[in-house]
Amino acid sequence: MERSFEKEVRSLRLGAGDTFHGEGILAITKALLQSGVSYVGGYQGAPVSHVMDVLTDAQDLLDDMGIHFEACSNEAAAAAMCAASINYPMRGAVCWKSVVGTNVASDALSNLASAGVMGGTLLLVGEDYGEGASVIQERSHAFAMKSSIVLLDPRPHLPLVVDMVEKAFELSEASNTPVMMEFRIRACHVHGRFECKDNVPAKVSRNAVLTDPSFDYSRICLPPATYAQEKHKIDYRLPAAVDFIRENKLNEVFSGECEDVGIIVQGGLYNSVIRGLQQLGLADSFGESRLPIMALNVTYPLVPDEITSFCAGKRAVLMVEEGNPDYLEQAVNVILRKADLNTRVVGKDVLPMAGEYTLAVVIDGLKKFVEGSLPQGLDHTDVARRGDAVAANRTHAIELLGAPTPVRPPGFCTGCPERPVFTAIKLVEKEVGNIHVSADIGCHTFSTLPPFNIGNSVLGYGLGLASAAGVAPAFGDKRVVSIMGDGGLWHNGLTSGVAGAVFNQSDSVLVIMNNGYSSATGQQHIPSTGTNFRSEPTGQNIRDALKGLGVKWQRTVTTYEVGNMMKTLREALSTKTKGLKVIIAESECQLAKQRRIRPLLRKQLERGERLIRTRFGVDDDVCTGDHSCIRLSGCPSLTIKPNPDPLRKDPVAHVNNGCVGCGLCGETADAATLCPSFYRADIVQNPSAFDRLLNRFRRAVIGFLQGRPAAVA
Amino acid sequence: MTILENEPRPITILIGALGGEGGGLLTNWLVAAAAAADLPVQSTSIPGVAQRTGATTYYLEVFPTETAELNGKMPVMSLYPGPGNMDVVVASELLEAGRAIENGFVSPDRTTLIASTHRIYAIAEKSAMGDGVHDSDRVLAAAREMADSAMLHDLAKTAEANGTALNAVLLGMIAGSGKLPLPDSAYEDAIRAQGVAVDANLRGFAAGLSLARDTEEPKAEAVETAPPEQRIELDFPAPVAEFAAHGVSKLADYQDMRYARLYLDRLQTVLAVDSQQKSWKLTREVARYLALWMSYEDVIRVADLKTRADRYNRVRAEVGAKADEPVRVTEFLKPGVEEVASLLPPGLGAALSGWAARRGLTARLHVARRVRTDTIFGFLQLWLLAKLRFWRRRTYRFSQEQALMEKWLAALVALAPRDYAFAVELAECANLLKGYGETQARGHGNFEQVFDTIVAPALGGAATDAARLRSAREAALADPEGQALGQALAV
Repeated sequence: MERSFEKEVRSLRLGAGDTFHGEGILAITKALLQSGVSYVGGYQGAPVSHVMDVLTDAQDLLDDMGIHFEACSNEAAAAAMCAASINYPMRGAVCWKSVVGTNVASDALSNLASAGVMGGTLLLVGEDYGEGASVIQERSHAFAMKSSIVLLDPRPHLPLVVDMVEKAFELSEASNTPVMMEFRIRACHVHGRFECKDNVPAKVSRNAVLTDPSFDYSRICLPPATYAQEKHKIDYRLPAAVDFIRENKLNEVFSGECEDVGIIVQGGLYNSVIRGLQQLGLADSFGESRLPIMALNVTYPLVPDEITSFCAGKRAVLMVEEGNPDYLEQAVNVILRKADLNTRVVGKDVLPMAGEYTLAVVIDGLKKFVEGSLPQGLDHTDVARRGDAVAANRTHAIELLGAPTPVRPPGFCTGCPERPVFTAIKLVEKEVGNIHVSADIGCHTFSTLPPFNIGNSVLGYGLGLASAAGVAPAFGDKRVVSIMGDGGLWHNGLTSGVAGAVFNQSDSVLVIMNNGYSSATGQQHIPSTGTNFRSEPTGQNIRDALKGLGVKWQRTVTTYEVGNMMKTLREALSTKTKGLKVIIAESECQLAKQRRIRPLLRKQLERGERLIRTRFGVDDDVCTGDHSCIRLSGCPSLTIKPNPDPLRKDPVAHVNNGCVGCGLCGETADAATLCPSFYRADIVQNPSAFDRLLNRFRRAVIGFLQGRPAAVA
Repeated sequence: MTILENEPRPITILIGALGGEGGGLLTNWLVAAAAAADLPVQSTSIPGVAQRTGATTYYLEVFPTETAELNGKMPVMSLYPGPGNMDVVVASELLEAGRAIENGFVSPDRTTLIASTHRIYAIAEKSAMGDGVHDSDRVLAAAREMADSAMLHDLAKTAEANGTALNAVLLGMIAGSGKLPLPDSAYEDAIRAQGVAVDANLRGFAAGLSLARDTEEPKAEAVETAPPEQRIELDFPAPVAEFAAHGVSKLADYQDMRYARLYLDRLQTVLAVDSQQKSWKLTREVARYLALWMSYEDVIRVADLKTRADRYNRVRAEVGAKADEPVRVTEFLKPGVEEVASLLPPGLGAALSGWAARRGLTARLHVARRVRTDTIFGFLQLWLLAKLRFWRRRTYRFSQEQALMEKWLAALVALAPRDYAFAVELAECANLLKGYGETQARGHGNFEQVFDTIVAPALGGAATDAARLRSAREAALADPEGQALGQALAV
């Protein structure tokens, strides 16, 4: 794994009287243990990968408590794991990245929500929305509404978050309904503190095992039970949830002196509203606000009488709700209409319909709300002045800068084994013309960005090959290429892609990036790692899996061999053999590799062992500053520097100290007939006496040829 | 309820960095230092996919009153930085400072901007076919104007000089800014408590601290002006003389003094049609590009540069080899038909080149050669190749380059009196000619295409259009596939 949480895991053992200091995601994990969970599972993905990583590192603690932890194959498997809570009083939690993970999980989720749960069930979803997000921009909210799942969106204040996790299990049990809790990216990474409680052993666990299976037909998702289940949701479960939310005051109301207006906000955005009000001179540092605020820590279902009692007597309320559609604004409007209240609901008319609610956005929306609703007793000109000053400062800055700051899109790491594959594709395209490439989700999706710009569609994790099914035949004899990572392959691509393509006798090419980990999410182990998260051997590999599915044309190529990869690609694109052709592009994730070998190398060096360190360089007097090499690589360590030749204007290529000597520069210089400026330097560390002698001899002879006195080096 | 303007408010700190620069550790140090002093502190970050080389931000708030004194009240801290509301903005690199300014996070009434002025280039800057580097001066000027106080130094250099990491230097600068109510020892204790490379990071912290507290303006670095090796009486006006001197020494080094004199003779013909009123702009640009063109890169030149006496030590320094560590140097050469033809006499070279082109072999007939220039045998191969310098004047490539060059010079001289701006643009067109192999072929193709489409008609008497020539030249450098050039010439 990319990050080790061994140190942090100790804080999971803290008990009553201790103060926890740490990251939000770790606090949530601690809250699970304080809630008496029997099982935890999930699928990695930012921003909740760390839940999985922390639990992986916390095996000893989980074993002590008899808690089962499962690194699930995908989100559907994680959601299905919750079936344990349908029949038994087992509390459990699963996590994934949303909205994409929720999409994958939704089949199991629908069934789970229909059957209803006996044990508290918590779905922790990382709402990957806005800056730093890596997926399509949609809301998880819709899933909660359509499946009658309770949705929590707590205020990002760690003591409250921990309390909400504990309450979520009670709420789930009180209403037989699974509870989903969403955390935005910044909330997952927030660092704060809270007062701990003791961890609670589960009712059912490896330490307290079940003896008798429970059979209850009403829990099976098959008609006629499904009709009764739907009715049960409406007649019993949702009302029970609403009662619980009201009685336990899960939503919070903060009073303010301007009682003729108010703000209703998703709990997760509460801090932004307070800070926005503060910048407009309407709140203090401790959250005291002139405008009354209702923070919805539960965003589905709403409690109608809470909304009406907050809005009663107010001329206007501002609904601060991130993303689209505006489910909450619509729901609040309906509640007010039914209660025959005339309070005007302002929301997406002063705040943007789409996009992240950063502070700039919130401040602007609050300012417009104040200007439009003119709260009694407020100096709204002062509010406008402050709001305008914020905007004017930015406008002035942009004028001064003159040109937009160049973006820094994510890209392949230094020495990434996936980069050479796209170099090869780009070079093959020069020979055969552009190829339609069905891209996939993973680090390799960066191929769609500069400098490669390879990939015509991205349809979802593991769906690279499946998304070529319709378009491939339309290109006739010109084969399309699909990309899939080993992460996507095991997630679902093996069935949705490979099995489907063989079954339908698709005549296309699939490149599987086998780097041995689920790399983009933090290098978690997957079946092609060869070992599981406990580092136990699993005996799984891609070749055998493909063979079992009937893939006849298979080639394995080391990714760094650009020439070989080009040859194999040409063959796959032109061979007379029909059917699916799979190229397994194999090399270990460089991040994982560096983390693995660096300490070993350091020790070897300290022991005085002879070691060769390789890196690349550019002769700056040979380079002419065309940067073709960069356009075929994009490696972070292959950069530019000012041209040492006073006559030349264009900067020269330069390899910086980050170089790990992966070899791509040399391979590209060869394969693309680029430029002789590159050199490879193999530095002999802890040289033997023979190394030194040989070197001295060579330097002496070469020095003689160069007409200079023999140098010692 | 009253909301007081002067009540304590959180001290806000925004850190802009690139993935892998240790922004997370810097944040952890600050959190630990504040927490140890019992100050309420909150931090968050946007790593996401940005951890792979992209821009990333960390955001912290520290409340300046001890928790114990707050009587159970807790400040509400924001997860987002507020534009116009930052006390400290830290940027690990100049472009990231620009980004923070662009987003309105630097304001003259309160922001201390701490930024390293070194550059790590963005992909668009790196992959441009010419000079695509963002204007640093503009960012620096904006930084000075927008910040209440701007602490701008090349901190990468400071870090390197102190054998430490950039983030530790930044921590020292933050401490030195005095914006946080913490003593220096609080930060040092935090470094010790985190336990990562403690000694090096304490060194970096100290360096940053003294840099922040040193109020003296950093001295301007002396610009090296090496006198040209060959002393010639140059009959050129000052703006031209500088480039001409560089050109002479370059060409004497490339071929011989006779060749350098040919350069000066050619330059004289251009000078004759130029004038003081135009500040000798044309001659100055020709002095630059003619020298570069005349020292075109061929196999002899490459072999020569790679076997120079100082080169081995330059490589050693560049790759950070220690004194007793031998370095093996492998060159990646891929000579093909064109390279062989370029060395032959004009008749033979043309025949071979033409034959390969007709058979479509030019791009295919190549031999990938990896030569070890640290070994005697490998070195000898390139050393002998470099000795072919005496033969260069008789080669096919030489005759071709000189012919094209003469055509270009003649056009310059002919057109300068008619349309000076057009001639200057034409001089700049020589920048299309650079590189090796495919790059070189593409450059030549583009040059000839531009020449035939825009310059040749002008020579024939058609109207000159400097703007069109400029846009064609820029288009040729816009994309390697030549799409933009095709469009520009079609207009």
